[in-house]
Amino acid sequence: MTESAIDMRPTMIGAPVQRKEDPRLLTGHGQYTADVQLPRMAHVAFVRSDRAHARILEIDTTEAKALRGVHGIYGAEDIASLVRPLCASSRTEGYHATLIPPLADSKVRYVGEPVVAVVATDRYVAEDARDMIHVDYEDLPVLTDPAAALVETDTLIHDEAGTNLIVERGFGRGDTDEAFHTAAHVVAGRYRMGRHAPMALETRACVGHWEHGKQSLTMWSATQAPGILRDALAELMDLPGKRIRCIAPDVGGGFGAKVSIYQEELAVAALARITGRPVKWVSDRLEDLTTTSQSFDDIVDLEMAIDADGVILGLRAQVLGDVGAYSIYPWTASLEPVQVISFMPGPYKVAAYRGRAQAVATNKPPMGPYRGVGRPVSTFAMERLIDKAAVAAGLTPEGIRRRNMVRPDEFPYKTPVGIQWDRAGFIECLDSVVEAVDPDSFRHQQVEARAEGRYLGLGFASYSELTGLGSRIAAAPGMPINTGTETARLRIDSTGAVVAAMAFANHGQGLETSMAQVIADELGVAMEAVMIDSGDSDPLAHTTGTYASRSAVLAGGAATLAARGLREKILKVAAELMEASPTDLEIFDSTVRLVGTDKQLTFREIAHAFYTQMGRLHPKQRAAMDLEETRMFDPVFGTASCATHAALVEVDPATGMVEVKRYWVAEDCGRLINPMIVDGQVHGGVIQGIGVALHEELIYDEDGQNLTASLADYLVPSAAEAPDVDVTHIETQLPDNLTGFRGMGEGGTIGAPGAIANAVADALRPFGADVNTLPITPQRIHDLVQAGSAQTLRPGRNNSSDDTTS
Amino acid sequence: MPGHKPWLPALATDDKSSRLYMKPPAFGYEAPTSIEQATALLSMHDGDARIIAGGQSLVPMLNFRLLVPSVLVDINRIAGLDEIRDDGKGGLTIGALVRHFQLEASELVAARFPILTEAVRHIAHLAIRNRGTIGGSLSHADPAAELPMMVQLLNGALTIAGPDGTRTVAARDFFDGALTTVLDDAEIVTEIALPALPAGAGWGFKEVARRAGDFAMAAAAVTLTQKDTLIEEARVAVMGVHDQAIRVPGAEAMLQGAVADNGTITAAIAAVREAVDPDDDLHATAEFRRHLIGVLVGRAIHDAWHRAAVAHT
Amino acid sequence: MTGTASGKVVVSMTVNGDRVEELVEPRWLLADFLRENLGLTGTHVGCEHGVCGACTILMNGNSVRACLTFAVQAQGADIETVESLGTVNDLDDLQESFRKHHALQCGFCTPGMLMTAIDALRKRPLATDQEIRDALSGNICRCTGYQNIVKAVRTMVQKRDGDD
Ligand SMILES: Cc1cc2nc3c(=O)[nH]c(=O)nc-3n(C[C@H](O)[C@H](O)[C@H](O)COP(=O)(O)OP(=O)(O)OC[C@H]3O[C@@H](n4cnc5c(N)ncnc54)[C@H](O)[C@@H]3O)c2cc1C
Ligand code: FES
Ligand code: FES
Repeated sequence: MTESAIDMRPTMIGAPVQRKEDPRLLTGHGQYTADVQLPRMAHVAFVRSDRAHARILEIDTTEAKALRGVHGIYGAEDIASLVRPLCASSRTEGYHATLIPPLADSKVRYVGEPVVAVVATDRYVAEDARDMIHVDYEDLPVLTDPAAALVETDTLIHDEAGTNLIVERGFGRGDTDEAFHTAAHVVAGRYRMGRHAPMALETRACVGHWEHGKQSLTMWSATQAPGILRDALAELMDLPGKRIRCIAPDVGGGFGAKVSIYQEELAVAALARITGRPVKWVSDRLEDLTTTSQSFDDIVDLEMAIDADGVILGLRAQVLGDVGAYSIYPWTASLEPVQVISFMPGPYKVAAYRGRAQAVATNKPPMGPYRGVGRPVSTFAMERLIDKAAVAAGLTPEGIRRRNMVRPDEFPYKTPVGIQWDRAGFIECLDSVVEAVDPDSFRHQQVEARAEGRYLGLGFASYSELTGLGSRIAAAPGMPINTGTETARLRIDSTGAVVAAMAFANHGQGLETSMAQVIADELGVAMEAVMIDSGDSDPLAHTTGTYASRSAVLAGGAATLAARGLREKILKVAAELMEASPTDLEIFDSTVRLVGTDKQLTFREIAHAFYTQMGRLHPKQRAAMDLEETRMFDPVFGTASCATHAALVEVDPATGMVEVKRYWVAEDCGRLINPMIVDGQVHGGVIQGIGVALHEELIYDEDGQNLTASLADYLVPSAAEAPDVDVTHIETQLPDNLTGFRGMGEGGTIGAPGAIANAVADALRPFGADVNTLPITPQRIHDLVQAGSAQTLRPGRNNSSDDTTS
Repeated sequence: MPGHKPWLPALATDDKSSRLYMKPPAFGYEAPTSIEQATALLSMHDGDARIIAGGQSLVPMLNFRLLVPSVLVDINRIAGLDEIRDDGKGGLTIGALVRHFQLEASELVAARFPILTEAVRHIAHLAIRNRGTIGGSLSHADPAAELPMMVQLLNGALTIAGPDGTRTVAARDFFDGALTTVLDDAEIVTEIALPALPAGAGWGFKEVARRAGDFAMAAAAVTLTQKDTLIEEARVAVMGVHDQAIRVPGAEAMLQGAVADNGTITAAIAAVREAVDPDDDLHATAEFRRHLIGVLVGRAIHDAWHRAAVAHT
Repeated sequence: MTGTASGKVVVSMTVNGDRVEELVEPRWLLADFLRENLGLTGTHVGCEHGVCGACTILMNGNSVRACLTFAVQAQGADIETVESLGTVNDLDDLQESFRKHHALQCGFCTPGMLMTAIDALRKRPLATDQEIRDALSGNICRCTGYQNIVKAVRTMVQKRDGDD
């Protein structure tokens, strides 16, 4: 009976179990930061700079102060003694840190930068008061073009840096000159990815509450990183960590935008202390699109040398990143552009490589992480160039990829930048997608369609990424915090409940569910029995949050170790109580059983015996036991995840419209915890990547004004633009990976831009179009078609300007 | 600016301080129950009052504080303005408070003006169509909105009530550039009359928008009747490519009485491209818009011809 | 509605079956009224210019944007928000379908998505997935990529039409 009980035990890991988070979120009982209501709470609105670069001369708040309902108005000086500026320091050479003030002090560096905070009874009144505040500026020259900012010496965004080039790095391996010298073909291109907004549906928000009695601060923030926020505030406010508690309640998406520390968070913390009231700031959408960290704005010059068989001999990359006004905390301005050169070689064997990245400050909001960080750009550039190389070598797109990918017997493979790829299904993913797509029959279809004046295109993109980074690989080079470890603390409380304090900060990934699955399996309890405390800096000594595809690996690892440890401890207590040997005991459904007998103790009984029933255990024995286990996990390096994407599009060259008709992904993120959740992450990531490729772009004019600050101008895909995504999982297992999990939260967004770009280019091949700028909007397609039609014979009937008959 | 969404804050306006609001300024609120009360309220406030109908264009502008009215006159409680009525002559009379969704779902509209049903399917989304009204859309006069183009195409006439009584204005005379109409401050559009289309008319409607439900980059609407192998009556209207939606008489002239072949259509397209005056904006240059409208007109003529052929035989 | 010196007026309406009466400024948006005056924070705000759909509620049975409607305009109306559907321990069929198909991740869009789906299921045939996608196109979800939301609604269409 006991044997079969074990067999019957449902294995939670790998099962598509329904999420624990859902009931509250589906009934409107989630609690997001904006939902926090406290007695005497006041609302904050910020007066924001309307110039991109200017010296602040004078601020006049007299009229506004007199407005009924206004509690107070505060500028940089008023809060300076309470909270210091942030600084993302870094050990790396060629890096210049920048000071980020809570409110702009002497000058403003981008449109939207907070200058004055208004605290009032409600947001309406706060905005009324904002109308009455006058800020006098002296305009400074505005730098919006990174190439111009790079060479500019008179106008500096940060005088202390002495340059606008705040990061410069280069690395590589092998003799690229030789490679290019001996190449049969050299292909090259300049690839530009526009500026993007991660655009979580919940805008940024925070609530600060200073308790005078305890002299302590509670901050609710729509953040991915309550732990990073707590540590930063403790340092900047000179308070012990224990007197600051940061809570990320339910968070409405982050995608990287909520993992940095913002000026408003610092200001709100100070305002809570000054005003003695709970203060709430909820960003509106315009503020969000003008001030939340932006991303991907890189220009990549890429050259590839191949031999006559299409084997890559060498690669050279030069990246110019527009990192905006500040080096973002804690990631630094290196994050995006350096990641681009780090991952440029992708899943391919590149013998000789040189990459150089430059991060240039401009008068735009700071660049920060966005799902995929750097790799959507590197994959776009590399995959476009691989397609070009295929043409040069006379190979198919799938053929050239297969020829150059790291093969199963070549792992572990060290890339030219020193990243080590562990065994992962690079080729397996490619093969799986190729089989699903059947490119040969597609090419027939494509020819037939062209004869009817329809332009179909197929595009592939393959990539590999490092996820679940350990302590030996910083999430951003040389940054000031440790992101490589994670702690979990599990306990059986005095009622027998299983409680896990964990460091992740859920914002849609279903981590409460997947971590409960892991703990349930390790501990022998039902998933429902596992209660998780997360998104809170308090229960653990050190936490950061959820970002960089880390939580499955790091939190999963810590949970596994802690659950194993706790299991031992439970068995030890139970063995004592049951007068048996721990090895004869098993746990099933929160009950410890003595194998082969009907003796059993529930967790509740064990907890009672251990905590409340004095005398059940001998004091000496009891002193040597506990029902609590804290474990830290450090994967040391990271895990390799990979995928191949394919997109089938139809382009209407006459209108520039693109329809994504089919989409395939084959990905390897190792062992799946919850396939339903993993599929959901892939779907969402791919659609974001399609947004990056086709629809979304932040556009700035030369005055540094954001022309796309509403959701009617910054165009994220709706259901009508999104295709279904066909997902296949390859689950490569590794012997030395504790849990077998690999990170995957970002992958969808990494592959899609490249796949879509290649598909559109394939569709527009008759026009000789090279898709080298994303998003590839109707206007850009029109321009490509016009340029192409001017030179080529018009093959279809849809392309000409007097198209009349479709 | 065609295609520009005027209810959005122009972030780069001279009045830079008007940016970054999301809560409306204070105003008074009145909800009259008759047209007389409403016009009286409007004249009392002397240009400072604003009518609110569906609010789907007005409220975003208020939230952005692009408008600061002293009072809102909510006309939703005026009875009798929310009906679609048969005019007994093959046409329809549509009350100003008829919601876009009513138009979308109306069998009468689908039977008389299938092109209108099709056009309404391109207006925003269900929740916005549930609130937005035809009177509001026409009065708002967005150059990239569907209904201002459709009432012109369909030779509509607007009934307008003012403090001194009512007047009727042909749709083609109602619009006066972007977001501008011939309405006086105290006037209210009360209904729109759409006369019957000629028997056997075929139609074509083509729109390109960046996403489903977005304001169009450009759109074209065409109706045609056939006589033997020739086009008899032709109407061509376009939007998103001029400071307002317009009919294109030059193109209509090319089509009427001509054989519907590629040469005729090319000539009509050329006439459209000649007549429009698009601006550059975020989504498209003037050059692209001019190109695009030609493509759409061509396709709409094609559809209209085929539908007319069906009606003819 | 009666005015007061502060410019506030009394509005009364039915919200999720309860009659409520509150003093509000005419400029107060229905979304803020529900969230701040009534504490019904299930209705979310994602843009306040009508595009994202997070604030969608039912007013007299029709889906509307609570960010583009003033509370005073809802005088006498029957308002339903996500809180009117099933409860945490007893989800209704649509909520259950969303859960089963993993049609939500962060959950921020979910209340608006549910209220839109209710209206669309009443008003539209939703015969094809493209029709479902069109019906939902006024609600932005940044997390799910929509595929599972479409599946969840498809299941409800089948249930409605009795073909499952
Ligand atoms: C996200 C979004 C997308 C949209 N997409 C589209 C689209 O694709 N196509 C499109 O056409 N529209 C679109 N709209 C606008 C929508 O159709 C509006 O409903 C319409 O433009 C205005 O109608 P309304 O009844 O809401 O007018 P309101 O917003 O109430 O009023 C608009 C203006 O008209 C005046 N007014 C209203 N009624 C009258 C009247 N009877 N007499 C005189 N003046 C009056 C008001 O004072 C105001 O100045 C969109 C709106 C949103 C929020
Ligand atoms: S908040 Fe109302 S539509 Fe976005
Ligand atoms: S679930 Fe996050 S926005 Fe839809």
